[in-house]
Amino acid sequence: MTYDRFVELLENEIQIAALAFMATLYAVKVWRLMQLNPVTDRTPDRGDPDAGARYSLMLVAMPWELASYRSHPIKYAEFVAFHLAIAAAILSTFLIPYAPGLLAIPAVKALLMLLIAAGLVSGVSRLLKRLASPALRAVSTVDDYFSILLLDAYYVLALLAIPDAATHRGSIAVFFGLTAFFLCYVPFSKICHYLLWPFARYYIGKHFGKRGVYPKKAGSARPGRAMAA
Amino acid sequence: MTTVFAAEPMPLEEKIAKFHELFETKINRNFCLSNGACVHCGLCIESCHYYMATKDPKTTPVYKTDAIRRIYKSRHDWLSRVVPFWTGAARVRTREDLDRLRDIAWGSCTMCRRCTINCPMGIDTALLIRSLRAILYAIGEAPEGVVQVCKDQYEIGNQMGVSDEDYIETIEWLSEEHATDVGDPRAKILLDKKGANVMYVVNPREVKYAPLTLLAAAKIMYAAGEDWTMPRSGWDNTNFGLFAGDDKLGAKMGRALYEKAQQLGVKKVVVSECGHGFRATRWEAPNWAKMDLGFPIESFLETMAAYVRDGRIRLNPACNGVAVTYHDPCNLGRSSGLTEEPRYVLQHCVTNFVEMYPNRADNWCCSGGGGAMSMSEYTGRRLEAAKIKADQLRETGAQIVVTACHNCIDALGDLIKRYKLGMKTATVGELVAKALVLPERPEAAVPVQKPLEKAPGVPVKVLVADDDADTRVFLSAICEDNGAVAVTARNGNEALELARSEKPDIITLDIDMPGKHGGEVYECLKKEDALKNIPVCIVTGQPKLRGLIYDLEVPHPEGYVDKPITEETILLNLRLILNLRQ
Repeated sequence: MTYDRFVELLENEIQIAALAFMATLYAVKVWRLMQLNPVTDRTPDRGDPDAGARYSLMLVAMPWELASYRSHPIKYAEFVAFHLAIAAAILSTFLIPYAPGLLAIPAVKALLMLLIAAGLVSGVSRLLKRLASPALRAVSTVDDYFSILLLDAYYVLALLAIPDAATHRGSIAVFFGLTAFFLCYVPFSKICHYLLWPFARYYIGKHFGKRGVYPKKAGSARPGRAMAA
Repeated sequence: MTTVFAAEPMPLEEKIAKFHELFETKINRNFCLSNGACVHCGLCIESCHYYMATKDPKTTPVYKTDAIRRIYKSRHDWLSRVVPFWTGAARVRTREDLDRLRDIAWGSCTMCRRCTINCPMGIDTALLIRSLRAILYAIGEAPEGVVQVCKDQYEIGNQMGVSDEDYIETIEWLSEEHATDVGDPRAKILLDKKGANVMYVVNPREVKYAPLTLLAAAKIMYAAGEDWTMPRSGWDNTNFGLFAGDDKLGAKMGRALYEKAQQLGVKKVVVSECGHGFRATRWEAPNWAKMDLGFPIESFLETMAAYVRDGRIRLNPACNGVAVTYHDPCNLGRSSGLTEEPRYVLQHCVTNFVEMYPNRADNWCCSGGGGAMSMSEYTGRRLEAAKIKADQLRETGAQIVVTACHNCIDALGDLIKRYKLGMKTATVGELVAKALVLPERPEAAVPVQKPLEKAPGVPVKVLVADDDADTRVFLSAICEDNGAVAVTARNGNEALELARSEKPDIITLDIDMPGKHGGEVYECLKKEDALKNIPVCIVTGQPKLRGLIYDLEVPHPEGYVDKPITEETILLNLRLILNLRQ
């Protein structure tokens, strides 16, 4: 098998197979979750559960509403950068084989690489913080360290692969190899949190919305000053 | 009577097997999500007052819930089942594992949900901790204090073991006090009035130790012209089922209250100022009891706010001229959305309201939530963690911290003393009652207080035992001014000698005294046949020493008063204990 054929295989059949594997496991995960009874509540509403759920889901874009982010805005910036980088890297895995022309546009390429580079910086920072903080070390598992290292490596490879998109040479094979591994590993690791996140936020939002806690009342934070967490 | 409050003693292996069996029963969709969605990001860490005060990595919310998560993953996570070390998954295997879980569940989390509200993932830490408590409680791994309170609720129907007779006598006595208070002999606290607009349910602490709060509520409802009643049974709004994770107890307590309201045909149930009492009665117990209620349940905060809004009561804020701040109880602010009503009421009854930061759903826990006040083995840690709250209170510069929860009142009182804040505590109702402009009523004969006499001309003899000379003089003077004879003791040994020689009718007993401390004196008193029937009112400035009295295997004291004492409080308690009415 030629190198080109190998890369082509990695970019197409193997990626599709890995994606299908991930999607299947995700479907099983969600199906299993739905088999469990949700907490039900027969009491009359004090607030609006649906508004609570909407607010809860939107909190990801409202860092000022969480004391934890209000007092640590850098952490929020890192969170945004890290997750945008994931989106950019995943997008690259589709652009490289299916729309290489787009990556030939310097602005598109620069934007993707900028996002991924920011994610890499954020990822390294998160890793160092995890290692430096006794509180985080106390709860960190092998999966925690491996997942963040895996993503940092993924960003590095994406940064190397994107410039090679047109030539299909260099790091492309490694990048797609890691992508395939990544897709297969994710359903088993903490990285699949994004699958559970909307459900968790929805239910907690309904709960607090029903009680009139969500959307949170204004005024809990000191006006014009950062508040202790 | 079937009692299910205490687990049968069982061997360790059986206990661990039972633990895992019960663990599986706790798994529902929300439990699964709170276990599965955590990414160990650590954003919850600084939301916890235990961690913020101690900086101990083992007190972070994520560490505490991870103890549960690891057990969950050992059975329900694909990767963990194959390579458990990869995710830290582990089953409970040893006595040490159980001890660690016990310490986490009871000793380092007040289930305040501050971490929940600040978790970007939506993890409900309190749900996980309550589930863990439920399992531990069922296998006999709960603190004695919690078991005792649950036992009282199961067997007697209220958390302080107040007998029906004592309850009814107290309410009748308070009814007379209420008439005196408002200057209207027709003013009454009615029991079991059918068809009343309001059934008012209270925290047993109000009946046993803090009758002034109940009197304040009575005065407010009198001023509003409310048609209200208190039930003869089902009157305890508190529910240790919430803290112990015991849904059966939760259902039992809720059902007793709801069925009474249905039987009386009241229009609504009003829950006195009690954080967990309101949360349990309004939100949780209908689910535990599987009852759909045909009447609304509201907090007295909502009732008072409606009175002010509708012009049913008039308030003179000048009566409360000092700086006042408000502490949002977690169960009201964070778990019930009741944040604006107390502020609205306070803005109408005080002149200088100072907001504390953070507040509302972001407020710090008083440090005594989740039943922590009944677990004396963790008092030291609780007060250490209370530093965050103390700093927050100190920053307000307020002289009075108002809150709408009896548990918070006790916990704040403790930390105010520990951190020497020099503040007073009060309920919202107490400040409203103080600011009330009572409607004019036709003149009527106002009953006067009976002197402290056993019979006309025969004074009550009070033994005042306290090592503080000022307190001895103050208490003796109050007693003597009201017709009693006072003898005083400066230490524990002297108190016992005088109790034997003077045979007083009642003893006020300090806990922290030289020689025998109050706990030892109290135990001796209750174990000596000649002395055991003398009623005792504990008067202490150190509530953290409560355990020295309440952990004893003798009957609980007849009264309990926190220092600083007011004349009104001590007289109310003495009269209540001695059953002296107008």
